[in-house]
Amino acid sequence: MSIIDALHRSEVRSSVLVVRTGIVGLALATAAIHASLGGMIFTLNAIGYTTLAMAMVLPGPFGRYRWLIRLALAGFTAATIGGWVLFGARFPLAYLDKALEIGLLVLVTFELFHLDGGPIEIGRRARRLATSLVGARGVRG
Amino acid sequence: MTRHAGRLVPLALATVAVAACAASTSAGGPLPSAPLGGAAIVADDLAFDRGTLEVPAGRPFLLVFENREGVPHNVTIVDGDSGQVRFAGDIFGGPASRTYEVPALAVGTHRFRCDVHLEMAGEVLARPR
Repeated sequence: MSIIDALHRSEVRSSVLVVRTGIVGLALATAAIHASLGGMIFTLNAIGYTTLAMAMVLPGPFGRYRWLIRLALAGFTAATIGGWVLFGARFPLAYLDKALEIGLLVLVTFELFHLDGGPIEIGRRARRLATSLVGARGVRG
Repeated sequence: MTRHAGRLVPLALATVAVAACAASTSAGGPLPSAPLGGAAIVADDLAFDRGTLEVPAGRPFLLVFENREGVPHNVTIVDGDSGQVRFAGDIFGGPASRTYEVPALAVGTHRFRCDVHLEMAGEVLARPR
């Protein structure tokens, strides 16, 4: 039983590793494309993707709030895709970038369900975090 | 060693400064000549070389667009009042040049822009020639 458990755990770990590598790779690839376009908006977008990609793998205190980083990355990616749908130029590099971003969104959503327990559990965590932040402010005040 | 390092730091800074200037310097060169009865425009360093483009009204014309940097750009012309797109040129990275065939524009003021970098924009003055 314990061998099966260990095998299952190692499989889960390797699948998490594959998905996480995909997330970081896609985020850095789309960051590179945005950086290559120049201009303030694209540069800020590239910085955003790079920062979030790094936060996805940094150890230490980041690990505890990885669910929040995943949520931020999903929101950032969705906002970028939405911005392009509304205002973006249609040309081959843009379509390639959107394909990468859709792939990124799929992988992040997978992790949000697989590792964070889906929207209900994430909502609970967010509420807990908000309560603790409000509580800390109340104690300080 | 420290003395050498002290001399090398300003040298390194100067080298970086020169490299940065060289990187930010535009390709320059003469402006493309406008085709007969048409117009020409250049994009470089995330800007068009002019804010106003004078074109003939009431008949199709050629617009030479030279993109002098690796960043993709194009020229799109929109109606001054309705904002409706009158012409959208191909988006391409440079250094390269394209000659767009623009359909006839009504007399008046229109707008032009780069679809990739919306902050790159200007006015199109369509006048009878």
